[in-house]
Amino acid sequence: MKFNKISFQDKNAERVYDNYFKSLNNILRPILERDKQDVLMEFNSHIYEFLQSDATEPELNLLLNAIDKLGAPEEVLKPLIADKLLEKATKSFNPIHILKALLLNISNGFSYVIFFLLYLFLGSFIFLIFAKMFSNNVGMFFKEGKFQVLGLIEDKSNYQEVLGYWFIPVMLITTVILYFLITLLLKLKRLIIKK
Amino acid sequence: MNKWKSQVKKGTLSFIVLNAISKKELYGYELIEIVKNSTAIEIAEGTLYPLMNRLKKEGLTSSKWVEQESGIPRKYYVLTKEGKIILKQMRAYWTELEQSLTKITNNEI
Repeated sequence: MKFNKISFQDKNAERVYDNYFKSLNNILRPILERDKQDVLMEFNSHIYEFLQSDATEPELNLLLNAIDKLGAPEEVLKPLIADKLLEKATKSFNPIHILKALLLNISNGFSYVIFFLLYLFLGSFIFLIFAKMFSNNVGMFFKEGKFQVLGLIEDKSNYQEVLGYWFIPVMLITTVILYFLITLLLKLKRLIIKK
Repeated sequence: MNKWKSQVKKGTLSFIVLNAISKKELYGYELIEIVKNSTAIEIAEGTLYPLMNRLKKEGLTSSKWVEQESGIPRKYYVLTKEGKIILKQMRAYWTELEQSLTKITNNEI
């Protein structure tokens, strides 16, 4: 099923309608195409039914009333976009989508703050990989055979660095594995809903 | 007072919506009209659609697009089997709540 435009007699009403759907399209841009189409069709249907509800009013007035009563789309659609974006992000594993989705959902529960911190923690792994290229004070350090530090230390004289430049691929692989694990957890969290 | 009213509305809206579609399947605009007419709840009408999305995600409702002669299809919402079970539990809880509220509000102010 596809989106069919409503036809108007009044040219001004048509302009208002086109502009409204243009901005709705923009607001819904971050979510999946099929979800976007679904919301556009639903709002279109709502406006169409509203226009049919009163034959005495001029088209333009009815259209403006319908749009007013729907409320500001960027406000009313916020929960839907936040949820759909999270669905898209945990499907695509795209870090930019995940960051956007988390920022939109951050007010929806403390767990999203935790997820945000977990990703931030992974970001620090990437930082360490770069830091390793420029400093020998970065690495996995042992002291008397026991693990002490993973990261950056100021004075490494009493410590033994065990990975050498293997630190870079090891950290890279660890980051990728953790990224997938955290994202899978996020996916699971979205699906388990309190009833 | 207004803040309290809006909290009550927000808290009961999904219960009202589930009740409305328990009798027959309804499309969005029709559903909003019923909610408005039977409860005097004034909501930004657009907020209903994210709510319907949530109820669907929770498995309480399902929806289908139905072609219309006008060329503008309608999306009909209906309760799922699970939705019916949950609504039954919600109604029982509501009755319980109503009884305790009646008891408490019978005290003279």
